[in-house]
Amino acid sequence: MTNSKMNNRILVAAVLITTYVLVPLLFGGNSYLLGVVVSAFTIAGIAVAWALLGNLGGMISFGHAAFFGIGAYTSSLLAMRFGVSPLLGLLLGGLGAVVASLAMLPVLRLRGPYFALAILAYAEIFRILAVELKSITGGAGGLLSIPGLPTVAGFDLNTKLGGYFTIVTIVAVSVLVYYLIRRSTYGLALRAMHDSENATRVLGVPATRLKALMLIVSAFITGVVGAFNAHFINFLEPNYAFAGTWTILPIVAAIFGGYRTLTGPVAGALVIYLMDQLLFKSLIPQGHQLILGGLLVAMILFAPDGLVGVLLRKVKGGGDHATT
Amino acid sequence: MLQLENISVEFGGVRALHDVTLTANTGETLGLVGPNGAGKTTLFNVISGVVKPSGGRMMFKGHAVSGAQHTRARLGIGRTFQVPQPLHELTVRENLIVAQRFGSGRPADPTRIDLVLEAVNLTKRQHADAATELTLTERKALEVAKALATEPKLLMLDEVFAGLETHGKRLFMESLVRIRNQFHLTMIVIEHDIETIRSLCDRVAVLNFGELLAEGSADDVFNHPEVIRSYTGESKT
Repeated sequence: MTNSKMNNRILVAAVLITTYVLVPLLFGGNSYLLGVVVSAFTIAGIAVAWALLGNLGGMISFGHAAFFGIGAYTSSLLAMRFGVSPLLGLLLGGLGAVVASLAMLPVLRLRGPYFALAILAYAEIFRILAVELKSITGGAGGLLSIPGLPTVAGFDLNTKLGGYFTIVTIVAVSVLVYYLIRRSTYGLALRAMHDSENATRVLGVPATRLKALMLIVSAFITGVVGAFNAHFINFLEPNYAFAGTWTILPIVAAIFGGYRTLTGPVAGALVIYLMDQLLFKSLIPQGHQLILGGLLVAMILFAPDGLVGVLLRKVKGGGDHATT
Repeated sequence: MLQLENISVEFGGVRALHDVTLTANTGETLGLVGPNGAGKTTLFNVISGVVKPSGGRMMFKGHAVSGAQHTRARLGIGRTFQVPQPLHELTVRENLIVAQRFGSGRPADPTRIDLVLEAVNLTKRQHADAATELTLTERKALEVAKALATEPKLLMLDEVFAGLETHGKRLFMESLVRIRNQFHLTMIVIEHDIETIRSLCDRVAVLNFGELLAEGSADDVFNHPEVIRSYTGESKT
C-alpha cells in the first residue's frame, strides 16, 4: 500500500471517529448545539448532491430546493396517510425526487445558464403545486405533526442525537456514492465531458444519458435529505420546503469548501453554517449573512479551489486536490 | 465497408455538401483532398454523427447508419479531430480507458490499451496529463490512440500531419502505416500535402465547394483538369 493510500485511510478513520464518537460525546448533552450541527449536515448533504451534479454532470443547478421539497413531502405524506415507516420514507422521499427529476430531463439539452434557469423554474412550479394541491399537501398551511424517525435496535432516532447519527450516515453514504462514481469508468467519462463533450461522444460516450443519471442520483440524495429534515422537525409548509435557502446555502457551502473535491462540500457546509450560527449571528444579529458573503467572495478571489483545496496544497505542497 | 449515397448538408441555407456519393472499400486507404472549405471535415462529421445530413444515405458494413452520435464508435467508426481534443482532467491512459470502455461497449481491457499505447509510442507518457503535459506530436498521437482504443474498423484521420516538422511527420506516417497493418484498418485520410497522400493512400477523392470533383488513383486525380483548376483558385462556374 502506498503512503498516500495509507494517509487517506488514516484520515477517513479519523473523520469517522470524530463524527460518530467524539462529537456525540462532547456535544451530545447540548441540544441547541447538536441541532445546529444537524442543520449543518443537512446543508452538507444537499451540497454533496449539488457538487456531484456540477462536478460530474457539468450542470449548475439553481433548483435543488425542488428535490428537497419533493422528498420532504413524499415521505411525510406516506407516513401520515399510509403509515409508512419514516425510515423507509427516507428512501421513498429520494425516489419521489427522482420522479420529479424525470420531468426535468428535457432541459438536459440546455447548457450553462439556460439549464440553471430552467431548473429554477421547475423548483418554483413544484412550490406552487404544493400550495395549490391543498387536499394532498395541506396547502400553504402545510403539514403538522409529521411522524418522527423510529426507534431502531433500542436506539431512538427521534431525538437530537438520533437525528445527528441519521444525517451523518446519509451524508457519509452520499460521499461514498460520489467517490465510487467518480473513480469508475463512468466517472472518468463524466469528468472528461466538461471540456470535451463532442470528443467524448465520438468515442462512444452516451453523454446525455450519463448527465441524466447524475441528475437522478443528485435528486435522490437531495430527496433523502429533504425527507430526513421533515421527520426531524416534524413540520412542513411549501415556503419552507421549497425555500431558496435549500438551493443557495448548499451552493455557497460547496464553493466555499471546494466543489471539485469530494469532501469540500461537507467541509464548506460545516464551516460556514457553524460559523454563521455560532459566531457571526452573535456578533451581528441582523444581517450576519453579510460576513458569509464577504468570506465567499474572498475565497473565490484568493482560493478558487476552496477550503479543502487550500488545505491540501498546504499539506501536500500541491498534488491532486481534485480527487480528495 | 462504407458507402455514402447522395449525402447533402446545409447550414442555414449554406450548402456544405451536395449529393456526395463515395465508397471506402475494406482494407484500403482513401485520401480526401480539396481546398479549404471544400467540405472534407463536414463529411467526416456526417460519417461520425457529429452533423446530421439533410439528405442522402450512409451504409456501413452493409447496414444503413442512423442514430445518435455516440453509437457510431460501437459500429466501428473511429475518427480524429483536426485540432486534437484530449479528454481534459484525465491522463493519457485514462483517455484510452474511456475510449475503449465506451467505444467497444466492453469493460476496459488493459492489454488492448497497452497495445495501443505501444503502437503510437505513448507508453512512457501514459501517466501524463493529456490536456496540459503533451507536445503537439504527442497530442496528435493521442488523438489516433483514442480512436484506435475504440476498436474501429474504419479510422478517419483529419489532418493529423498538420503542424508537424518534416522528420516528425515522416516518423508519424511510418507509425500510421504500421498501425493500419497491425489493426487491419480501412482508413480515410484528410490531408493537404500531396506527397503524403501519394505515399499513404490507395485511392483519392477530391471535394470542392461541397461536391465530389474527382475520384481515382493519385496520378489520375492530381492530373485531372478540374482538380488543377480548383487548386489554382479558379471558382466553379
